Amino acid sequence: MNNRLLINYTPGTTPIHRLNGATKVMGFIVVTVYIIMTFDARIMLPMFLLCTAGVISMRPNWKPILLIMGFMFIMAGVIGSMMIILIRPSSGLTHVGGETVIVRWTDHFFISRELLWYVGAMYFKRLCSLSTAILFILAITPSELAAGFNKIGMPYKICTVLSLAFRTIPDIARDYIDIKNSLMMRGVELDSRKVGLVARLKQTVFILSPLIMTSFGRIGTIANAMDLRGFSKLKRRSWYSEREPTRADWIARGIIVLVAIFVIYYIVFVRVLNPPPFSYWSPWGYW
Amino acid sequence: MDGKKPVIQFQDFCFHYKIQNKPTLHDINLTIFEGEKVLILGASGSGKSTLANCINGLIPFSFAGKITGSLKVNGLETRDLSIFKLSTMVGTVLQDSDAQFVGLSVGEDIAFAMENENTPRAEMLPRVLRYATEVGMEDFLPSLPFNLSGGQKQKVALAGVLGDSMNILIFDEPLASLDPHTGTVTIDLIDKIARNGNRTVIIIEHRLEDALHRPVDRVILMDKGRIVADTTTFELLCSDILQKYGIREPLYISALKYAGCELDKIKGLEDPAFMELSSGDIDKLHKFFAIKPDSQPTEIGEKAIQTESVTFSYIRGPKAKNVLRDISLEVRKGERVALIGKNGAGKSTLARLICGIDRPDAGVIYISGNNQKGMSVREIGEEIGYVMQNPNQMIVKDIIKDEVELALRLKRLSEDEIASRAEKTLRTCELYKMRNWPVDAVSYGQKKRITVASILALEPEVVILDEPTAGQDYRHYMEIINFINKLNAEYKKTIIFITHDMHLAIENTDRAIVLAEGELIADNSVFSVLSDDDIITRANLKQTSLYTLAKLIDISPERCIEHYILFERGHKGILDEQ
Repeated sequence: MNNRLLINYTPGTTPIHRLNGATKVMGFIVVTVYIIMTFDARIMLPMFLLCTAGVISMRPNWKPILLIMGFMFIMAGVIGSMMIILIRPSSGLTHVGGETVIVRWTDHFFISRELLWYVGAMYFKRLCSLSTAILFILAITPSELAAGFNKIGMPYKICTVLSLAFRTIPDIARDYIDIKNSLMMRGVELDSRKVGLVARLKQTVFILSPLIMTSFGRIGTIANAMDLRGFSKLKRRSWYSEREPTRADWIARGIIVLVAIFVIYYIVFVRVLNPPPFSYWSPWGYW
Repeated sequence: MDGKKPVIQFQDFCFHYKIQNKPTLHDINLTIFEGEKVLILGASGSGKSTLANCINGLIPFSFAGKITGSLKVNGLETRDLSIFKLSTMVGTVLQDSDAQFVGLSVGEDIAFAMENENTPRAEMLPRVLRYATEVGMEDFLPSLPFNLSGGQKQKVALAGVLGDSMNILIFDEPLASLDPHTGTVTIDLIDKIARNGNRTVIIIEHRLEDALHRPVDRVILMDKGRIVADTTTFELLCSDILQKYGIREPLYISALKYAGCELDKIKGLEDPAFMELSSGDIDKLHKFFAIKPDSQPTEIGEKAIQTESVTFSYIRGPKAKNVLRDISLEVRKGERVALIGKNGAGKSTLARLICGIDRPDAGVIYISGNNQKGMSVREIGEEIGYVMQNPNQMIVKDIIKDEVELALRLKRLSEDEIASRAEKTLRTCELYKMRNWPVDAVSYGQKKRITVASILALEPEVVILDEPTAGQDYRHYMEIINFINKLNAEYKKTIIFITHDMHLAIENTDRAIVLAEGELIADNSVFSVLSDDDIITRANLKQTSLYTLAKLIDISPERCIEHYILFERGHKGILDEQ
């Protein structure tokens, strides 16, 4: 079960895995804001390198990661960029600030140096968000996630529901498969080679009603089990999976605070008070 | 019990669920003392779980209703407390050990109650380790719930309620979803926990024979919301009231009664291994087991299912671990066969292979003589019907008739054909009068019958039933079993039970196929299987008390079990005719 869909249920042993939940959640939030705030490749590059190094340090199972990367490359890198180039080749002028044409077929179909920079930078930004997300998903277990969010101020009931969801997903998936199998034996054909998409969608609806019924039964029992063990008795709650912060955590948190200060400085002084004329920085000196 | 401190006191206690029109508990007067181990016995609907829920606070705090009279736990009136306050004194292990597993690891689940009390982590960790050690799960702290067996989950649930201030533990049908061997391990564990410290233990069960694997101080028998007996195990076993209130007698007690022994003169009757039988009783038993009852051999038809060296694994490639290895067996038309083995032995996988959901990596499966390889799941479904354990997972439609007709409509039969086949099936299953009822309005046993009907509509030759009686009390058990036996006897359906209920296998099947670790380890009559120590150990089965009795009076266990079964069948036949 472990590591399917990248999600880790048991904590790993590398330095990043060993950080505590709150540190990981704080880090993720700061890095995400960092990536969102800028279109400047010079700013994004160090964070990308950092995240990639982080992912490598965790010695992950590369197969699903490469699969996701490949999918992203085709969807955003190839198809997305082609669309921009075909539909709005003037993007180079509006977002980067210049138009040094390399090839021109007609008035509406051309490629400029700035246009290429624009699609490249945009893809790079997406790649940065993806590597941040992968880093975070690999680093944290659902229990740490719940504990971490609670530590940074989210109500613990919401956090517990979050971890319960992860607890229940595999069970519901198993129920789904069981129900599907029993329906297939009664003649519901769900084989894509034999029935059309519409018919298949219609028959999938059959699965929903028993699935919902069994899931409701589960919820009732879980609610009782939690009541019987005193859930929501107190205003605060401690967490078994929330490790005490170690020196590594304080160092990591120090770095996160520094990055956060930079993020605030950048947003206030660069993006708000002194916005650049074009959102994308380029090496040709338009800003 | 004089001088002992009462921990639970019911006084003229009644309870009425808000959503029901009649009270569920009437005039309960019951005192349970510190350190006692009490078995609360009763059929479904007898109010035994309701009684437990009053003690742990689910009533009235989660299930609303009206309480009259008084209930004191540790001297405090429960209605003045809260479920949280009670949760620090009363620990409850629920029936469904999977659904109550809240944490994402063993350690986290054991810690759940402590987390809720905001216990600092430094204090929590050693306590988690201590409780885990008490139930023998200390090596599994980081394990995920998905990788644990039912028995292990139950141990975790037990560790989770061993809090320091906890002096009352309630076990709600702890044996319901366990295989026989794991069941005895659980009863041993509960016994050990009960003897550690001054904990009061309440076990709620309807499976008397299994629950009595370790002695209890007192048995409380409930029926229709009232306490009908509050007595010792000995007194209860001597009496004739068990059958009357829907509880199955331990097999050895029935055997002693059939043989005409005087139970109340037998010292140590509670434990078949050590009871002191008089020479007169032993003579009577020998005489009883010497009579050869009539046995009617089952008519054996053609091969319905045949597997040849079937091998299967879920993972391909170098990491492959075979779930099933080289399984060769056959099932003849008209047979009743039990497929037995502990969880994970490959029973369900074998059923899935036969039904074509998964296909064997090697080997061949024949259905009515045809190689199943070329048949689709749907085509196999017309030969072999598979009834899942939980009827709620199978029922799709709101009205009984629609549910039964579903498979026929999917087959695109003509309206006339659908109507006539559905009617026939509904009549077979005695659902015809109820055909226009909503599915929600019927009992569990009837729902089970609806699922069987929905399968039978396709007129399969073989019906595979996955744990058809799991969690059912004796009365519902008999209701389901009688119905299935009728399908076999009158409609000549071949029946395969997937089960770990030994009573079911002994009394209702002719042959047992036993799987262990993916291998077929026995294919023989049920009584030979159940008298073979090696098979019993490897398949996590448990000797029945008949085996113990046979050893005690020094006769062959195989003969003892066989004789008993045939006698019971003849006996029941006579009763049915009357």
